[in-house]
Amino acid sequence: MGKYWNIGKLALKERLVYRGDFFLSTVLRFLPMVTSILLWKAVFGSASQDQLSGFSLNQVIAYLLLVHVSRMFSSMPGLAVNLARDIREGTIKKFLIQPLDLCTFLLSSRVAHKIAYISTSLIPYAGLFLACLSFFDTFPSGLGWVYYFISLALGFLVGFYFELCIGMIGFWFLEVTSLLYVVTTLSFFLSGHLIPLDFLDQTGWVEALKALPFSYMAYFPAALFLGKVPEGEIVGRLLLGIFWAIFFWGLSRVILHLGLKQYSAFGA
Amino acid sequence: MRYLRLLVSFARISLMGELSFRVNFLLKILVEVLWLGILLIFYKTIFSKSSSVSGWDEYQYLFFLGAYYTLEGFVETFFLENCVEFSELVRSGNLDFFLLKPIDEQFLLTFRKIDWSTAPKIFLGLGLMSIGAMDLGITFEPFRVFWFLVLLFMGFSLAYSFLLVLTSLGVWLVRNQSLMEIWWLFTNLMRYPRSIYQPSWALPIRVVFGVFIPALLAVSVPAEYFLGKSDWSGIALLSISTGFFIWLSRWFFFYSLRHYQSASS
Repeated sequence: MGKYWNIGKLALKERLVYRGDFFLSTVLRFLPMVTSILLWKAVFGSASQDQLSGFSLNQVIAYLLLVHVSRMFSSMPGLAVNLARDIREGTIKKFLIQPLDLCTFLLSSRVAHKIAYISTSLIPYAGLFLACLSFFDTFPSGLGWVYYFISLALGFLVGFYFELCIGMIGFWFLEVTSLLYVVTTLSFFLSGHLIPLDFLDQTGWVEALKALPFSYMAYFPAALFLGKVPEGEIVGRLLLGIFWAIFFWGLSRVILHLGLKQYSAFGA
Repeated sequence: MRYLRLLVSFARISLMGELSFRVNFLLKILVEVLWLGILLIFYKTIFSKSSSVSGWDEYQYLFFLGAYYTLEGFVETFFLENCVEFSELVRSGNLDFFLLKPIDEQFLLTFRKIDWSTAPKIFLGLGLMSIGAMDLGITFEPFRVFWFLVLLFMGFSLAYSFLLVLTSLGVWLVRNQSLMEIWWLFTNLMRYPRSIYQPSWALPIRVVFGVFIPALLAVSVPAEYFLGKSDWSGIALLSISTGFFIWLSRWFFFYSLRHYQSASS
């Protein structure tokens, strides 16, 4: 366990080397939020009802803010791309000759990256949420907060193991970048990042979309926070999230096992 | 003429490179189609709940969306990849090899790779604009089409200038992974009609991004002109700011190159 703790510490230091770039990207991420608020104000301004698909204007804006928090936990920038590159270039073999487990190594690095990211962006995010506090009509109760943090942790695990599985496709295909673009694009939409999944009610697919693993990466934590998940369904939905996390963890172990069996490393 | 020949060569070499990985190339095109699908679902969802958005009805908004998609397609096809790779050239020191070539550095570094996989966006955008205009019963008079294309080209040049300034920052930031995020911010500003920035609290955005860094004008002004919604102040502002930013971005690019320190190559 000690070695993975050290790996985490190293990853944390690495993340903080390029502070200028990191701070700039964090601050700039908020500005599109302003355009979203303005767009939804314009949409609700022209609509004949106060509520659209069960959401008021305030709830839509609060949802879009909360999606940022969900994505802070579930997004895994660079994980799949870097893993696929390591496989292609052969540098992954260092994990085969060292007493390290690849998945646990990547998990500890990612946890450290997330800690660095969340702790350093806490102040700008707190400022954003304080400025937008008037959009939050309700807050979770005591137990609601517990459910919310569990859902964020599930978002992290589902996001991590899902992306790990995609990256390990590199054992069979030399180039996975484009496949990743397809998956990321689909995930962006299916996770409810762009729009609450409830707004797609006319498609008749809303319940199916909510049950997919993608919804745990953005929609589910935000909907839970806003009280949009009926109380009787919360535990069931959390259990489904745990199922998806275990499913992708198991799948990643299977893919790693099969991938290593047919992997050949060339060169130095 | 020499630069045109070079551009054709860059385009040919890039296409050969893309076609070496055909499946990859097709997947990249699929992503663009998926993105358009997502934007259209978003657009249809909004207009199923509301009759208009800040004075833009459904088909006017579709035309706007097409104009945005075309402009973004142009930028992504010709420059975006080159600009993103610039900071990596700085970090690795490989920029030296490009600076030694007997050719304009701005041209070489921003045009050297053409991303053919995003080119379909241009045609998809044109398709959306045509559908929107036909549904609105607008005729394609040559005069109107010509000036629309001129204004869209200005919007495109403006977007290129912003991207060049951001790219140049890579000399100081070294690892400029934020570039894509900043570009994402600019595309966010361009993606919606500028009339949504009407609330009084949005005045600072309207002034900063409508006058000083006029990203809001790049798509809105050409689309407003074609749909007969424009005033001459927007057109004048777009024309003046395009000229200014083309000059400024070129000056800043060469200024940044003078501060480049080679990384031991």
